Amino acid sequence: MKINSKFELITILSIIILSIFTTIFSINDDFMYKKSILKITHIENIKEEVVQNSTGIHEKIYTKEIEGIYTNGKNKNKKEKIIYDESYSSVVTDKYKVGDKIFVDSNEIVGLKRDTYIVIFIWIFILLLFILGKKRGILTLVTVGINTIIFYYGLSLYLKGINLLLMCFIISILSTVISLALVNGINKKTLSAILSTLLSLSILLIMVLLVCKLSKYSGINFTEINFLTVPYEDVFIAEIMIGGLGAIMDVSMTIVSAISELIEKDPKISIKSLKKSGKEISKDIMGTMINVLFFTYLCSGLDTFVLATRNGFSIINYITNNLTIEETRFLVGSIGIVLTIPVSLFVTIKFFKTEGDK
Amino acid sequence: MMNLILLIILLFLLIYTSGTQGIKVFISLCINFFLLITCFYIIVLGIDAKIVSILICFLIARVVLFFVNGENVKTTSSMISIVIVLILLLSSIFIVTKITRIAGFSEEAFEEINMFEYEVGLDFSNITVAMILIGLIGAIIDSSIAISSALHEVHINNKTLNKKELYNSGITIGKDILCTTMNTLLFAFISEFMTLIIWYKTSSYTILEIINSKLFVSEIIKILFSAIGCILVIPITSYVTANNLKKKEKI
Repeated sequence: MKINSKFELITILSIIILSIFTTIFSINDDFMYKKSILKITHIENIKEEVVQNSTGIHEKIYTKEIEGIYTNGKNKNKKEKIIYDESYSSVVTDKYKVGDKIFVDSNEIVGLKRDTYIVIFIWIFILLLFILGKKRGILTLVTVGINTIIFYYGLSLYLKGINLLLMCFIISILSTVISLALVNGINKKTLSAILSTLLSLSILLIMVLLVCKLSKYSGINFTEINFLTVPYEDVFIAEIMIGGLGAIMDVSMTIVSAISELIEKDPKISIKSLKKSGKEISKDIMGTMINVLFFTYLCSGLDTFVLATRNGFSIINYITNNLTIEETRFLVGSIGIVLTIPVSLFVTIKFFKTEGDK
Repeated sequence: MMNLILLIILLFLLIYTSGTQGIKVFISLCINFFLLITCFYIIVLGIDAKIVSILICFLIARVVLFFVNGENVKTTSSMISIVIVLILLLSSIFIVTKITRIAGFSEEAFEEINMFEYEVGLDFSNITVAMILIGLIGAIIDSSIAISSALHEVHINNKTLNKKELYNSGITIGKDILCTTMNTLLFAFISEFMTLIIWYKTSSYTILEIINSKLFVSEIIKILFSAIGCILVIPITSYVTANNLKKKEKI
């Protein structure tokens, strides 16, 4: 990748410097943690045994003695030995190595210190985004950042007692306006994209609420999220709405820019042929967009699937029982995508044609 | 029942808005669902999940590209680029999951899985690699086909452009779609994250505890790999498509 301007050079250099600085900080930030951190210096295998589960599957369990030095708190520099059972499949245990830093609470391992890895990984992402997208990449990053902050604060407000669905709707309006306006500037195109996004989202919300009320959530298995102490049906609806929002925005922006491009090239174009081209474009994008949601959502059930089937549960049971929430998320998102096509066509044509006639 | 109603609504809308193409999309979804479940099943049988997942990604890409969009220069170029990106990603996903130890379940999910026995005799780090890889295939296909078909249009409308110019316009188009793709991904992940964030907030986790927890880290790694895949696919598809379009012209 060529570096074309001073601005790019400065940004890349500052990304690299910042990333080195934050990485070094995250390696040495043990003093910030309340929990004790142990740096592993030696691991010894004490015992190795083979266990068998009720369906006849064998698995090795290793008992290990982990030796390390505390790096923070009042025990700093003190040595410690911990006995730890590690399984081959690592379903609930982790495989530790010499040099790892682990959290320890009353002589038991809580987990790995992962902050350094997260920091490095996020910087790699930012660097790649900038190298390819340049200014556009930074803008993308800003949009993603703002949306994350909006959601974080929205959820805080919800926990203070504001109605979740109302809050989600306000959040959706805010993040739609901000994302679309930031990326495309404030103009007629953005305005009609915002309008069609919100219109589609409202229709989708009404539809989902109706289906939920009518079917009384029959067949939906909430065990995945029922550890929440708040009403999880509300959270569920809010979640599936937000999941569809990104896709809806994407579709409506694509359609709006295509239609406005057509009108710009030929202002006398008839509404009928506009509708026809709009449908052509939407056919191309619909299939792949639905697939994005399909794999993003449904694949997140693989680990539970493996665990369940290796425990002797049937596949059908899994599909109709464990995967239901992901299925709903995917279905609502896809309905959102397909629904947005006629809605944004309608809105854009109304918007541009009446404005053009004046 | 509720999902069945939603499925019927989806099918109706697909047929209403795009007719035969809608039915094609629906059939390809069914094929993909079948492929996904078969892939899950093969993994359960104990065959290396990394190899199974990359093969299934290849098949899925074939179904989405060639069945729905037809076989032509655009889709074959996309196919080649997707394979390149998948191979690049597979190795890095494998290394990252090994280093960050995100395989398996975190303590937040124990309630969901406590009815199962944990001794299953399969290495879950491979399964996590498969999950990340299959989870991002949809997004990569989406970006790749968007670029190759846009480049094809550019090529048809302006045949005088050379390979380098075509590649550059591919990058320009890529920048445009990058932001919206990131947004789609972000919202899909926020939707999965919401439960988690509410859980963290109600059970008073500190920020430091959150950024070290297995569940949070594995979600972040998933979203970042999807994003990195979408970024990588832009220059690769631009290059391959530009190359193929020019090669075809010579013959």
